[in-house]
Amino acid sequence: MKVTSKKIKFENALSLECGSTLPSFELMFETYGELNKQNSNAVLVCHAFSGNHHAAGESNLDSSIGWWDQMIGPNKAIDTNKYFVVCSNNIGGCGGSSGPTTINPTNEEVYGADFPVVSVVDWVNTQKILMDYLGISKWELVLGGSLGGMQALQWAISYPENINKAGIFAAAAQASTQNIAMNEVARESIRKDENFYDGHYLKNNTKPKKGLKTARMLGHITYLSEEHMDLRFGRKFQDNESKITRDVDFEIENYLQYKGEKFSDAFDANTYILMTKAMDNFDPSSNEDGDLKKALTNIKSKLLIIGFKTDWLFPPKKGKEIQLAAMEAGIKSSFVVLDGKHGHDSFLFMSDRYFKIIRSFIES
Amino acid sequence: MPITEIIKKWITEGANVIDFGCGDGSLLCDLKDSKNINGYGIEIDPDQIELCIENGVSVIEQDIDQGIQDFSSFNFDIAIMASSIQCLKNPDVALDKMLDIADCCIVTLPNFGHWKCRLDVFLGRMPVTKSLPVTWYETNNYHLCTIKDFENLCEERGFILNKRKYLNTNYKESWLSSLRPNLFAAEGVYLIEKE
Repeated sequence: MKVTSKKIKFENALSLECGSTLPSFELMFETYGELNKQNSNAVLVCHAFSGNHHAAGESNLDSSIGWWDQMIGPNKAIDTNKYFVVCSNNIGGCGGSSGPTTINPTNEEVYGADFPVVSVVDWVNTQKILMDYLGISKWELVLGGSLGGMQALQWAISYPENINKAGIFAAAAQASTQNIAMNEVARESIRKDENFYDGHYLKNNTKPKKGLKTARMLGHITYLSEEHMDLRFGRKFQDNESKITRDVDFEIENYLQYKGEKFSDAFDANTYILMTKAMDNFDPSSNEDGDLKKALTNIKSKLLIIGFKTDWLFPPKKGKEIQLAAMEAGIKSSFVVLDGKHGHDSFLFMSDRYFKIIRSFIES
Repeated sequence: MPITEIIKKWITEGANVIDFGCGDGSLLCDLKDSKNINGYGIEIDPDQIELCIENGVSVIEQDIDQGIQDFSSFNFDIAIMASSIQCLKNPDVALDKMLDIADCCIVTLPNFGHWKCRLDVFLGRMPVTKSLPVTWYETNNYHLCTIKDFENLCEERGFILNKRKYLNTNYKESWLSSLRPNLFAAEGVYLIEKE
């Protein structure tokens, strides 16, 4: 599989939904496979909130495997022998695109908390700019899970002429009250870390690692299913040799400590806040007095909405809401519920049925 | 397939159609090609759903008994329930709701009163026929009925049987199946409206 990583600087100012403007911005992205002569085999993958542009294959930087490698690759559901797949790091992220950890060109200082509030609409707009840069006029498919699924839906709404199909997995047209509540607890733990410095921790040569770790531990619970946690960890005790801290008794505690620690080393706290805010604020119906059907009326692409039975963050009924609104608006749309034992994270793991459904959809 | 031909004749050009128990979506595909309908299928069988998506048919994975009320605010031109009504837990409720969400319904059903079924039962066995091909222990048919039963239900509930066709085991209309449908028709096909 041909993998290309690139960072492009776009010199034109970018107006954001919040009213702020970025004087210029950089996008980090990867591509897999090759664009055909007609430029008609392009697929856009949108990442979820802690993901990045490294969706598949081995990274040439740290040889890590992409987050959706089970989905994308030669002979996989999104077959890179046939399709040219693009995945960019969202602005506001911390994977190489402009964000809180990059330099603000107006004052040559790190953005930190000064990076403006970004939204799903903004991400889709930057992906459109990237699309134009790559010389692609229509995506055969735009797909993503969770916050990535929200972007796929927004693509169908924002640019109906530039997309044939949208795959919206483990997502919602609106975060639930409970989603917002969970995200606020996570943000609060970051803000209350003594090293947060109102988001200007990098200027103070520090990081709110403790707060970010707690946030991730909480988040991680919401990504797993009760059933899967029971099966994988149960009430098993952690053996003494591999305990991360002495306070840990159960395996699940050790697991969350480990995951949280690893995440807080690699991720940026301001990005965590920006991404969760973007998720909470996403609501395409808000421009139409809360009428989702109206918001979907101009869609021309086919939608495939997938929910996962064990997902309690964005349960299947949230996907069905999108389906019913699309149906009422007369949009071609299908809704499928898959078993997936991994809770919200199920969208990341391939199964026979998941594979067949996506294959059938992209080839239909 | 003669049943498909009958359904085609009863459907208006460009209609909004919902097909409960749409199977592999071939009926909706056919209606899309011949009548330019905008159609949605409701299906529960995973393999059939896959085929729908492959055929480019909009399909919703949904149990009809549980999910039919989700469509209560919708207004379709036609709802179809082809050979599915006997599989429902509450066929009368489903029929009533179908007539709320669509101007009219097309229902097709296997006739349990067909002489072959009667003969099988008379001989002490559950019938296995062309219309009812599955053994008693594998069947999903919870609520089998005869043509008389179904028409009585419609009369009781005030549903109007606007059009009806009685088909023999070759899915064709014959003088016998029309003369004594409850005995000689293997399938009933109905176009139903609410008063």
